[in-house]
Amino acid sequence: MDTKPDAVHNPIRIDPEACIRCNLCDWICPGDLIYKEEDNRATLPVIAYPDECWYCGLCQTICPTDAITVVFPEQMVRNTTDVKSLLGKVVD
Amino acid sequence: MAGTPRAAYPDAMETINLETDVLVVGGGVAGSMAAIPALEAGLKVVICEKGKVLDHCGSIGCGVDHYLTVMDTGPEWDTPEFLIKHVPELTDYIVDMAVASRVIHEMPRVFRKIEALGVDFRDRQTGDYYRLRSFGLPGAYHINFDGTDFKKHIGERVRKGKASVLMRTMVVQLLVKDNRAFGAIAFNFRSGEWYAIRAKAVVLAAGDVNRISQNASGLAFDSWHIPYNTGDAHAMGYHAGAALANMESVEATLTPKGFSCQGLNALVSLGAYFVNRSGERFMFKYDKKGENARRAVIADAVINEVLLGNGPIYLDCRHLSQEMLDRMEHTLQVDRYTLPAYYKQKGVNFREELVEVSVSELSIRRSGVYFRGSGLAVDTNAETSVESLYAAGDCATVSGGISGAAVLGHIAGEGVVERLKESNGALPAIDTRALEAIRAQAADHLTVERGMPWKSFEDATRQTVTDYVGVRRTDKGLRLALETLHALAKREPALKADDLHGLMRVHEAKNIRMNAEMMATASLARTETRTGSAHWRLDYPEPDEANWRRFVIVERGADGPVVRTLSTERPLADAFARSALTA
Repeated sequence: MDTKPDAVHNPIRIDPEACIRCNLCDWICPGDLIYKEEDNRATLPVIAYPDECWYCGLCQTICPTDAITVVFPEQMVRNTTDVKSLLGKVVD
Repeated sequence: MAGTPRAAYPDAMETINLETDVLVVGGGVAGSMAAIPALEAGLKVVICEKGKVLDHCGSIGCGVDHYLTVMDTGPEWDTPEFLIKHVPELTDYIVDMAVASRVIHEMPRVFRKIEALGVDFRDRQTGDYYRLRSFGLPGAYHINFDGTDFKKHIGERVRKGKASVLMRTMVVQLLVKDNRAFGAIAFNFRSGEWYAIRAKAVVLAAGDVNRISQNASGLAFDSWHIPYNTGDAHAMGYHAGAALANMESVEATLTPKGFSCQGLNALVSLGAYFVNRSGERFMFKYDKKGENARRAVIADAVINEVLLGNGPIYLDCRHLSQEMLDRMEHTLQVDRYTLPAYYKQKGVNFREELVEVSVSELSIRRSGVYFRGSGLAVDTNAETSVESLYAAGDCATVSGGISGAAVLGHIAGEGVVERLKESNGALPAIDTRALEAIRAQAADHLTVERGMPWKSFEDATRQTVTDYVGVRRTDKGLRLALETLHALAKREPALKADDLHGLMRVHEAKNIRMNAEMMATASLARTETRTGSAHWRLDYPEPDEANWRRFVIVERGADGPVVRTLSTERPLADAFARSALTA
């Protein structure tokens, strides 16, 4: 599994050993994030737009070889946002 | 097709001309259910969809765990009449009763039709329907079921009906002449092909408006509902001259803090509590139904607790039986497949521990209230104020989750079939110069060197909405927001896309801004507070029942959105110009 630190968090980790290059993850992604070259068993799917992921996991559910793992970034798992900051500014 | 996004713009590519009976924009539940009656009547149907697989696109392409329906099984509460009687109160009296009544009357028929398509609503263990009461409804109308394959069955029916489906295709502009819709312009963001589609009727079913305000994680695409629904129907309908209503009302839900995901219905209907920092179960302070109150009330209660300094707020499931916790855990996974993985990565066991929750980002949908949708005003056949232009699902003024989308979608499909029985003359020709202008603008987005990235543009919209249009509204704040949103509109021609996928996002970003402007304009007009923080005016903090049992209708004016109001005693269709013409 790819564990390199990313500048932009990569939510969709693909195990190159398990991946059979079948294109299903490209097909099913509702956000058009995953690009897999068709009819080429040599290339892996590319997560072209990692910051546009909904974390729905459809790619993981469809993958026939369980090659995909969805990994959440720190700001989702250990969130420190003050909820009040989402509730607007008071302008008199 | 290449395995990487296409940056090159196939400028020389010819526009593909298509002609059909019905064009459906959006292949989710509403769009698919609209396509089905049209296909059954032998009409030609073209569906444009931003996803790629019809079986898994739209809001619930990943699955759904509840379906709201009257079933007419015998008891009085299970009749359409009983639910209809409660709708005014459920919507705080802002509702188009003519359309809501038709939707509720059609619920049992459409429910049985969906069952016939192969969706199994029965509980796997008992073989019976597991019906729950939640969200302030006056009966156990929500069927709790494993809807992992719900969309698959509906998509399958559409595919077997031989609809032409244009996937990874975004509709960017409707074709309208003399207040009559006759098709749309679209492009495929994988291939770069452009389509000019002429149709006798158009059904808009592009869902709700997300990515319009900030959430706890700060990630724009981490949204409760699908982030690829960006108010495309609302914005295109507006530009085509259609009337919209209830655009001032916003919707939020409660989510685990950091992950905006679905699941509140499962939590409250199966008995979860919410507690504040003192361990107080506070919902009863806001509504006698406690956690069984309407979603709008639940979100409003948490907003109030946070502003009172009683946060953090926690989800508490510790009192529930193991059996109930098992059902909850399974149901939550059906609604959002990745939630268990999230809890696992977080190292939290919701069965035994408190889980901190947050108010989600705001969205434009149905303001936490069933049957009061924010979007395109429709008549009882789901037709908008523009002739031959229909709307259904979360982009229409009567919205009720998946069943609302299914039922109004089906009504739209049947409405189209009826309309096409009348001969309404030849379709107008496409204005070639207008089409070339759209393509030239798209080419500019791809080639502009120092343009504004769509992400920065969207961030600016979100920040403005969050600060001044979202929860706490004032006249001054809304005017400030409108100034910023107008300034952003001027930057739209120079928005920058890196590739065809980015060009799709540019169009989405413009649609989101347009929706924000409509929301701010409508909010400014409604000088009262209604349904708590769904429309909270700090300068008019109380509901004004004497003057404001009225719809705020937003339409395109000479210089942007203009508003007028209509008494809720009348159906929105009374405000349609085409009604006046035919009356």
